[in-house]
Amino acid sequence: MNVITVNNLTKYYGKARGIIDVSFSVEEGEIFGFIGPNGAGKSTTIRLLLSLIYPTGGSAAIFGKDVWKFGTEIRKNIGYLPSEVFYYEGMKVIDLLKYSAGFYDGDFTERMHELAEYMELDLKRRIEDLSYGNKKKVGIVQGLLHNPKLLFLDEPTSGLDPLMQRKFFNLIREENRRGVTIFFSSHILGEVQRLCDRVGIIREGRIVEISDIRTLQENNYKKIRITAPDVEPDYFALPDVSNLHAENGTIKFFFKGDINTIVQKISGIRVKDVTIEEPTLEEIFMHYYER
Amino acid sequence: MNIYFRELRANLKSLLIWSGIVILLIVIGTAKFSAFTDNPEMLKILDAYPPALLKAMSLKTFNLTTITGFFGVMFLYFGLMSAIAAAMWGSDIISKEERNKTVEFSLVLPVSRSRIVTAKALAALTNLAAFVLITWVASVVAAQNYNPDAGFYDFLALEMQAMFMIGLIFLALGLLLGCAMKQYKRAGSTAVGIILGTYFISVVSGMQKSPDFLKYLTPFKYFDAGELYRAGSLNSVYLLLSAVIIVICIAAAYWTYNRRDLYI
Repeated sequence: MNVITVNNLTKYYGKARGIIDVSFSVEEGEIFGFIGPNGAGKSTTIRLLLSLIYPTGGSAAIFGKDVWKFGTEIRKNIGYLPSEVFYYEGMKVIDLLKYSAGFYDGDFTERMHELAEYMELDLKRRIEDLSYGNKKKVGIVQGLLHNPKLLFLDEPTSGLDPLMQRKFFNLIREENRRGVTIFFSSHILGEVQRLCDRVGIIREGRIVEISDIRTLQENNYKKIRITAPDVEPDYFALPDVSNLHAENGTIKFFFKGDINTIVQKISGIRVKDVTIEEPTLEEIFMHYYER
Repeated sequence: MNIYFRELRANLKSLLIWSGIVILLIVIGTAKFSAFTDNPEMLKILDAYPPALLKAMSLKTFNLTTITGFFGVMFLYFGLMSAIAAAMWGSDIISKEERNKTVEFSLVLPVSRSRIVTAKALAALTNLAAFVLITWVASVVAAQNYNPDAGFYDFLALEMQAMFMIGLIFLALGLLLGCAMKQYKRAGSTAVGIILGTYFISVVSGMQKSPDFLKYLTPFKYFDAGELYRAGSLNSVYLLLSAVIIVICIAAAYWTYNRRDLYI
């Protein structure tokens, strides 16, 4: 079952581009990574799905219901961690969490203490006195407090130290194991790679690729480096080769296609050294960015 | 209910400041009044003023040497303060969520935008009612030194109703500006601009030879202290007009807030 279905969603802010023709779906129980550079439209997409803003065109549904018509109802089962958290001034952490919990059905006192203890968050502090990272922790606890079925995380790790990041990832994995669907937006590939099942890449407002994270990494591209003093890089200018360039006498490129073609090509020249390896997600990503 | 009580707490400081100002105004005002009270010389001095100025300050209707007359003049300030305070409360209570970037928290909670507007409008209304009551009580206390008669209390009650109505109109207007304007920074200043504009119109319409329709353009004219004193009651045409303005503003506030993008 699809938890999120997005069809041709388009958003312009006046004349400025938000997102264009974005379509994707997220299945129940998966961790969907949403990656792209700053300003690509990641936050716009999330804000549309939370009905904070209205679309210029297209449609979106969460739990099978129209996002804008049933926003209030849908939001009962949604948790959201914005990239920057802002809360009311003059409130203690515990007051804010109780205030937030008061909008959902059920008693979340126990869970609040568990989450706060796990994230090492002091409930008695005043929110405006907290550091950026500690505010983020308040956001994490607040977003998870009411046992949401769907979590939106927008650049969730910024401000958290590595130890806290690891704890946070474990928490997210644990939630996911209990069946929570996670929409994970980030520009840091490492964390997407660690956590996500599937990934959508967005660039300048458009989706450029949606695929299984392993497919993206294993089946598509080989990163090839060849050190051959007497050969011009143009020798490898084949239709399946991309990013072809030479650096200090070493020819580097990505190859996508039948591996035999390239092996035969290499066997035709005298080489000093050859490496063929999986590109990191980072490199694939850069490849999408620069295209 | 949560939103309502949180807003009340958040706005308490502002209410206290405005109340402090109005109490100070009444204290200083009545201290000055002690120079006018039962002083026929004062009347002569006032008679020497140009009539247009006296009219603009509504000094023509009132006998400044009586406490009732003095509070008739004070109403000008009550009305203005009520208008400014209410317009600020109305616009700020909505737009501050965008200014302080808390919309990404408060509007992701499972509440409809209409419910948010309702709760916030009620909190601002409570503030306004409290402000008027505090003004009322402070006026009664301050008048005690000058042996007010029953007529004073009746007139003061009328003034306070009028002050509440002016506040209500500008509260609704402020609410509309807060809901409708994406540029939250401009909501408050636009509200103050409208207040000054309508106040200016009310001064102009008080002058001779000004077009008659002007008086319908400014809420300050709907509740003119001189008219209240003469009629002894609120004018029903103006009351109806006020009600229409308030209903239109509030309906438009809900309508726009439910349809617009939040500024994040």
